[in-house]
Amino acid sequence: MTCRPLTILGIPATVIAFGSLSLLVGQNSPTGNDSAPAPQKKTATTAATSQAVPTAKPNGFRTSWGDPDLQGVWNDATSTPLQRPNGVANKEVLSEEEAEQFQAQTAGRLSRDRRDGDAQVDVNRAYNEHWMDSRRLKVTADHRTSLIVDPPDGKIPPLVPISAERQKMLNERGAEVGRFNAGMPNNYRDFDLAVRCVIRTDVPPYMPIIYNNDLQIVQSPGYVVIAPEMIHSARIIPVDGRPHINKHLLLWLGDSRGHWEGNTLVVETTNFRPDSNIFQDADPKTLHLTERFTRVDAKTINYEYTVEDPHTWTHPWTVRIPWTRIDPGEQMYEYACHEDNYDVSHFLQGARERERRGEVVQPIPELPLNEPLK
Amino acid sequence: MKPTGNKLGVGAAVAAGLMLFWMGAIVPASAHHAFAAEYDAKKHVVLKGTVTKMEWINPHAWIHIDVKKPDGNLEEWMIEFGTPNTLLRRGFTHDSLKPGTEITVDGYQSKDGALRANGRDVTLPDGKKLFAGSPVADAPYKDPDK
Amino acid sequence: MVVPAAAQQSATPKQPAAGQLGESARQYALDIGQFPPYKPARMPDGHPDLNGNWQAMVSADWDLQDHDAQSGPKPEINGVYGAGPAGQSIVEGGEIPYRPEALAKKKRNFEMRATVDVSNDKTWHDLGDPELKCYMPGVPRANYLPYPFRIVQGGDASSPYMLISYEFASATRIIRMNWKETAPVPSWMGWSRGHWEGDTLVVDVSGFREETWFDRAGDYHSDELHVVERYTPVSPYHLMYEATIEDPKVFTRPWKIRFPLYRRMEQDFQLLEFKCEPFTEEMLYGRFGKKPAP
Repeated sequence: MTCRPLTILGIPATVIAFGSLSLLVGQNSPTGNDSAPAPQKKTATTAATSQAVPTAKPNGFRTSWGDPDLQGVWNDATSTPLQRPNGVANKEVLSEEEAEQFQAQTAGRLSRDRRDGDAQVDVNRAYNEHWMDSRRLKVTADHRTSLIVDPPDGKIPPLVPISAERQKMLNERGAEVGRFNAGMPNNYRDFDLAVRCVIRTDVPPYMPIIYNNDLQIVQSPGYVVIAPEMIHSARIIPVDGRPHINKHLLLWLGDSRGHWEGNTLVVETTNFRPDSNIFQDADPKTLHLTERFTRVDAKTINYEYTVEDPHTWTHPWTVRIPWTRIDPGEQMYEYACHEDNYDVSHFLQGARERERRGEVVQPIPELPLNEPLK
Repeated sequence: MKPTGNKLGVGAAVAAGLMLFWMGAIVPASAHHAFAAEYDAKKHVVLKGTVTKMEWINPHAWIHIDVKKPDGNLEEWMIEFGTPNTLLRRGFTHDSLKPGTEITVDGYQSKDGALRANGRDVTLPDGKKLFAGSPVADAPYKDPDK
Repeated sequence: MVVPAAAQQSATPKQPAAGQLGESARQYALDIGQFPPYKPARMPDGHPDLNGNWQAMVSADWDLQDHDAQSGPKPEINGVYGAGPAGQSIVEGGEIPYRPEALAKKKRNFEMRATVDVSNDKTWHDLGDPELKCYMPGVPRANYLPYPFRIVQGGDASSPYMLISYEFASATRIIRMNWKETAPVPSWMGWSRGHWEGDTLVVDVSGFREETWFDRAGDYHSDELHVVERYTPVSPYHLMYEATIEDPKVFTRPWKIRFPLYRRMEQDFQLLEFKCEPFTEEMLYGRFGKKPAP
């Protein structure tokens, strides 16, 4: 199975962090869940329901026109890894003590204030931790060992072989990344969409990264609008049952339609542009993305998403990330990006200057990173 | 049942297993503008200078400093930092670092040799670290988790 | 006027007197832009419901003041695609009250509106209309660009915010309702604080980046720009929009613009995306690309 390079913001720092959990093997875990591994083939709905936070009875959070109230400014940062580390076997949930230890270890590993290692690692730890989202060093309140809740082993399901066309696209992108990492981009097309300031964490499904993990939700009758901080876009989700737009209209953020199931907003998103950041490089023609938003209490939204793509994974998988309310004390601020994107000019002019000097630089497929994203 | 084995041994064994695990999964290869792509690990710089301008902008804040060289000439450097939005939520405002302030910047210079560096550490003359969890002048530091 | 007896008994309606419109008065009033009295639909909190997809019909983005049709930049390439229509001023009194010394910059803006140069950070914003570069348009320009936007209004105490989502550049504004704090840092779309005055939403906007323009004619402002907007529903399909613009560095006094916003009434209408950044990359960064070997 080939290792496919990926250039999206989809996977948070947490994927590197999970190695620390191995150090917890050998600890007593009286509250741990030691259930046997579930069979591999599992439908998304069964797993999601069994794992879902029970919200059968109506809760007190309602808008003045009667819809469940999801409004506020929310933060989704966490250090809990996307996938369950091998070291914890089938343990879904850590004990209080284990979670504290894991949180401390992960924070230590992820912290940009680390001074160990050589200059090659240090240069990428700039700027320092003060510029990062402090909540990204905290595990989820429920102490799960992975953000993936289905399949029950907490891992992304096996990949299926992809088409030659998709592999070609990924290889081309890998070449662009190699030039970029070496600081020698050919032109602006060697930058990814995030560096070019087209889209960032506003493409669903939402995953936390190192900073600005904030999303504002404003509702009106018939609509739920989600405005992530980067890059200042608003996702307008009708909840009145109207159909998606025509299949020929393709959008960077896809086209979303929502409906209420009890207290939960269920959103289906289709019509992604193929050149957008498709989650995990799945096939936009067959990717099926369903998100679920449930207001759990005054300070928490339970955010879950299920992805399904027979052209990419053997079966669907589901992720759960708790969102924490941060307003009014903290606010979301404008994230202008393209307007002052000096980096693109610096990078390109710098590459031309180095070429003029006769520098020959080999592409670098992967940089030695603490975590994959800046 | 209490599992045995020392932490280090188990960790090392599992780490090896983890490496194998990751080969088969989707791993992001793009650094999305990792500093190591633009700045040179071999060009560590320590710049002592006076702040002339602070650009409190996204995607990166910049501090401009005039650095006095031994020959008396001034070099204009610009230092790259992160998103100001994070600092705003920590209570640090764009008035908190005023032009004229003397700072020492520890960082890595741009690969193309331009007078640009990424800011790793910023220290004030009294030894206090800027952007490191302690207040600057009268700007109160706000920890969102407290 | 004396009506002949024969005319009084005929089936045709009474003719109005010369200069009087009679029954046609209502239609004529609409024709000259007068709205009949209107009581808007209301949200549960009692305020008028401004939710919807809105768009301006004026050509103010070409020029806030009176303007003839024009060929636009590079007509030898763009032909009519780059040209703009004539339009009447939306400025109260017709003219923007510039300080005499501030007019030179407007002239230079206009001359260089289609020129860009991002090779030097120091002069990064010196040339070119920010709209040309797909930079966020600021306020009030975002409201009279020829693209739709959506006002999102809930009105719950749990969420003291309104949101405006613009199709252009996916620009978004959060309007903080009854809010005390001012802008912590300048922004392209400004810092908006709203409150209701009767059936009018009043939005105070400050904390602007100075680099936005008002139009393609080069009308501009400084970092002291202060805008007060007023949104008043005047029919089920129109909002009347007014904005008072104040900037003592550039203008001799505050001045006002006024025009209706129209509700987009197409069946199943929704905002699509006008993420225009990719349309600007060749223009801005193409020159820094690697030239192919000869």
